[in-house]
Amino acid sequence: MTRTKLYVGIYVVLFAFATVQALVEFAGFLESAYWEAFAAIMVLSAIKAVLVAAYYQHLRWEPRSVSYLVAGGLVAATALTGAAAFSIL
Amino acid sequence: MSSHEHGLPPKSSISRWFLTTNHKDVGILYIVTALFFLVFGGVLALLFRIELWEPGAQVLSELSYNQSVSAHGLLMVFWFISPFAFGFANYVVPLQMGAEDLAFPRLNALSYWLYLFSGLLFGVSFFQGSTFAGGWTMYAPLNVPAYIPDGALGATTAVLALVMFVASVTVSSVNFLTTMYRMRAEGLRMRDLPIFSVSILLTVWMMLFAFAALLAALMILSADHIIGTKYFVYQITQSGAVTRTVGNEAASLLWAHLFWFFGHPEVYIVFFPALGVMAETFQTFAGRRLVGRKWFILSMVLVALQSFMVWMHHMFLTNINLTIKTVFMATTIGISLPFDLMMFSLIYTLIKGKVRFKTPFLFTLGSVILFIVGGITGVFLGAVVLDYQFRGTYWVVAHFHYVMVGGATALFGGLYYWYPKMTGKMYDEFLGKVNFAMYFVGFNLLYFPMFVAWETPRRVFEYEAGLTVWHQIATIGGLLLGASFLVMFYNLFVSLWRGADAGDTPWEYATSAEWAVSSPPPMDNFPGLPSYRDGSLSFLSESAVAARLRGDGTASTDGGDPTADGGVATGTALDTATETHLETEDVEHADHASIWPFAVGLGAFLTMLGLSGVQQGTIVGTEYAALLGVGGVVTFGSLVAMTREPFHAPEAALAERFPYADVEKLKLGMWVFLASDVVLFGAFIGSHAFIRVAHGWREWHNLIPAEHVTMPGLINTYLLLTSSFLVVLAMVAAKKGSRRGTVLSLVGTLALGIGFLVNKALEWQHLFHVHSEAFPQGWDLSTNVASSTFYLTTGLHGAHVAVGLVICAYMTIRAWNGAYQGDPDAIEYFGLYWHFVDIVWLFLFPLFYIL
Repeated sequence: MTRTKLYVGIYVVLFAFATVQALVEFAGFLESAYWEAFAAIMVLSAIKAVLVAAYYQHLRWEPRSVSYLVAGGLVAATALTGAAAFSIL
Repeated sequence: MSSHEHGLPPKSSISRWFLTTNHKDVGILYIVTALFFLVFGGVLALLFRIELWEPGAQVLSELSYNQSVSAHGLLMVFWFISPFAFGFANYVVPLQMGAEDLAFPRLNALSYWLYLFSGLLFGVSFFQGSTFAGGWTMYAPLNVPAYIPDGALGATTAVLALVMFVASVTVSSVNFLTTMYRMRAEGLRMRDLPIFSVSILLTVWMMLFAFAALLAALMILSADHIIGTKYFVYQITQSGAVTRTVGNEAASLLWAHLFWFFGHPEVYIVFFPALGVMAETFQTFAGRRLVGRKWFILSMVLVALQSFMVWMHHMFLTNINLTIKTVFMATTIGISLPFDLMMFSLIYTLIKGKVRFKTPFLFTLGSVILFIVGGITGVFLGAVVLDYQFRGTYWVVAHFHYVMVGGATALFGGLYYWYPKMTGKMYDEFLGKVNFAMYFVGFNLLYFPMFVAWETPRRVFEYEAGLTVWHQIATIGGLLLGASFLVMFYNLFVSLWRGADAGDTPWEYATSAEWAVSSPPPMDNFPGLPSYRDGSLSFLSESAVAARLRGDGTASTDGGDPTADGGVATGTALDTATETHLETEDVEHADHASIWPFAVGLGAFLTMLGLSGVQQGTIVGTEYAALLGVGGVVTFGSLVAMTREPFHAPEAALAERFPYADVEKLKLGMWVFLASDVVLFGAFIGSHAFIRVAHGWREWHNLIPAEHVTMPGLINTYLLLTSSFLVVLAMVAAKKGSRRGTVLSLVGTLALGIGFLVNKALEWQHLFHVHSEAFPQGWDLSTNVASSTFYLTTGLHGAHVAVGLVICAYMTIRAWNGAYQGDPDAIEYFGLYWHFVDIVWLFLFPLFYIL
C-alpha cells in the first residue's frame, strides 16, 4: 500500500531529525555557535511538526480551512510569545 | 411523559432540568443561573457602595471589603455577563440557523453544569477563611499564597473555580463552532446568518483562543498554589547548606501578559452578543434592515482580529519598553474605528426607519448611548501619557462599567425581546418601561459621578473627603439600579401566569427564523427540515427531502414566511450529510436526555474542592483527601458512563456546511479543540520563554543541574514518534479490516506511551534527589523558575499523554471485540489528538533538553 510506505518514510525522517538535534548538542555546537545551533534545532523541530501534521494528521488531504483553523491558534500563541518577549528586551 | 418531549419529563418536573440536553432548556438554565449570579455579584456591590458612603472602613472589615470588590468583579465578568448572553445564544442561535439542536447536545449540557458548579465552587470559597481578595485581575504576586492573608484556601478554590469555568467555556466554544459550520439550513450561507448569530459566531472564535490563554494562566497559578511551583513569586529562597535567593524578574509581568492577552478580547467577548442584540432589535423596532449590514459585519470581524493586538495597553505603567507601548497605543486607537462605523450604522438604521419604543428597544437604545460614553472615555486610557494619570483611578472604573454594564443593558433588552418566544407569554409593557426608567436613571447616577470623582483610587475604601457627595450620589444610584431589577423579576415572573399569549411573534418586522415557529418552539424546533434554497424560509416534508437527495429540485415545501436576516439566499453548493439519514426519520430517534453531564459536573466540583485542600504539596485535612477521592471516582465513572451511553444526535440530511463540508462533525470538533490546545501549550511554552528572556537566555543553564541531560528526552522522543507511527498503522489496519493488526498497533501505542511516562517518572525521581553543590536539596518543582517551568510544562504534556493512554486502552478493548473494522474514523480522531501530543513534544524536547 503506497500510503503505508509514505508513513514509514516519514517515520524514518522524524527519527533521523530527532537524532540530528541531539547530535548538534553532543558535537558541541551549542558551545561554539549557540544561536546558529539554536536556529538549526528549531527549524528541524518545525519541519518535524509540519510532517506529522501534514501526513499523520492528514492535513494535506483535508480542506484548507482546517489548516487555517490550526494556523489561527498558532498565530495567536506566537503573537503572545513574541510580543511578550519583545516587550522586555 | 409527553410523546413530544422525546424521553424527557415535562418542564414542570424538576428531574427534567437535570436530564435535559435540549438547547432551549439549556438556554433557560443559563439565563436563570446567570441572573442568580447577577444578584450575588450585585449584593456584594451594594455592600461596598454602602461602605463608600463615607471614606474609611466602617461597615465591612478591610479584608471583607477587598473580598467584596474582588468577588463582585469576578462574578459579574465571568459568571454573569457572558453566560447570560450564552443563554440567548443557546436558545436562539439553533433556531435562527435552522438546526434542531447543537452539534453535541450532551457536551452542551456539560458546559452548563460545569458553569453552575464552578459558580457554586466560587461561593464555597467564602466559607474557607476568605475568598480571593486581590482584585478581579488577580495580579501577581498578590495572587500567590505567600501574599494572601489568613491562608490561601479560599483563594485557591476561587482559582480552581475559574479553571472549571474556563473548561465550560472551551467545551461550549467547540460545540458552537462545530454547530455553526455544520448545521446551517440549506441555502443559509455564512453571510446570511442573522446578525445576532453572526455576533455569537465571532464571540465564540475569540473565546476559543482567548480563554485558552487564561486557562494557561490559571493552571500555572493553581500549580503555584497546589504543588508549589514558583512562576509568580519574585524571590525564591533555596535553603540548604548555603541559603541563597534567586530572583524571578518576570513574575508580575508574566501574569499581566497572560491575563490581558485573554482580558482584552474578553471585553469584546462580553460586548459582541450585546451588539448582536442591539442590531437585531434596532431592525425589528425600526422596521428596517440594518443599514450597511455588510460593513457592520466586516467591522465586527476586524474588531475580533484586532482584539488580540491591543492587550498591552493594560500594561502602560509597567516597565515594558516604550516601543511596544507606542505600537499598542496605535492599535488601541485603531480598534475604536470599526466601532464608530457600527455605531453610525445603528443610528442611521433608526433615522431611516420608523421607531416603536417598546421595552426591548428602550434597553438597547439606552445601551448604545451608554456605550458611546464608555467608548469615548476609553480612548483617553488608550493614550500612554493620559493613562499614566488615569490608571488605577475611578476613571477606569467608570469607563469600563459604562462599557460592560452598558453591554449588559442590551442583554436585558434581549431578555424582554425573547421572553415571549421562550415562555409564550407577553410581559407587562408598562412595568417594562418603569423598569427601564429606574435602570437608566440608576445606572447614570451610579457610574457618572465616578468620572467626576475620578481621583478616587480604585479598590480602596479611603478617598478625599471632598469627593464624598459624589460617592453618596453613586450609592443612591446603585440602590436605584438594584431596585430596578426587583421590578424586572416581578414583571417576568408574574407574566408567566398573567401575561397575554404571545403567539408566534409579537413583533412586527421581526424576520429571523425563531419567529416563524410557535412560542415556545416545539422540541424539534421546526415542522419540517428548514430550507432557504428558494429565497425564503420553507420547511421540507419527508418526501421533499427525499426528492432533494435524489436531485429533484421541484420538491414541494410547507409554509413559513420570514427570510434570512441577510436577505435572499441564492443557490450555493449543497452538501449532504455523511450518513444520509432523513432528518424526519431521525427525529423519532434523536435523544435529549442524559444524566451524565450533571454527574460529571458534580464530580468535577467535588474534585476541585478536594484539590483546594492541597497547599504547596501538602493536604490540609482528611476531608479534602476524601473529597478528592470521591470526586475523582464520580468524574471518571460518569465520563465512562457517558461514553458507553447510546445517544443519537443526528445531522440533518441537507445543510450548508461551507467551508467544512468534507469534515465530519466529530472530526471538526476535535480540530477546533486542538486549535485551542495549541494556544494552551503555546502559552505554557511562551511563559517559559518569557521567564528565560527576563532571566537571561543563556544564563538559564545556571539554574539547571548538570544531571539534567539530553538522553531521557531523546529516548522519550523516540518512544512518542514510534507510538504516533503505530496509531497510523492501527488506522490503516482498521481500514483494511485487519482486527489483529489494529489490536497489535494499539497495544504497541499503549506500551510505548506507558514507557514514555515511566521514563519520565524515573528521570524526575533522579532530578528530585540530585545532590550537588549548587543544588544540595535536589532539583524539585520549588527549587527555582527553571525547575518550575520544566516540571509544569512537561507535566502538562505528560497529563495529555496519560489521558490519551486511557482513551487508547478503551479503544484497544473495543478493537479486540471487533470494533473499527472497515470504519477507522474513531481511530483517526484519536490519532489527531495523539499526533498533536507528539508535535508538542517535538518542541518541548529541544527547549527543555537541548537548548
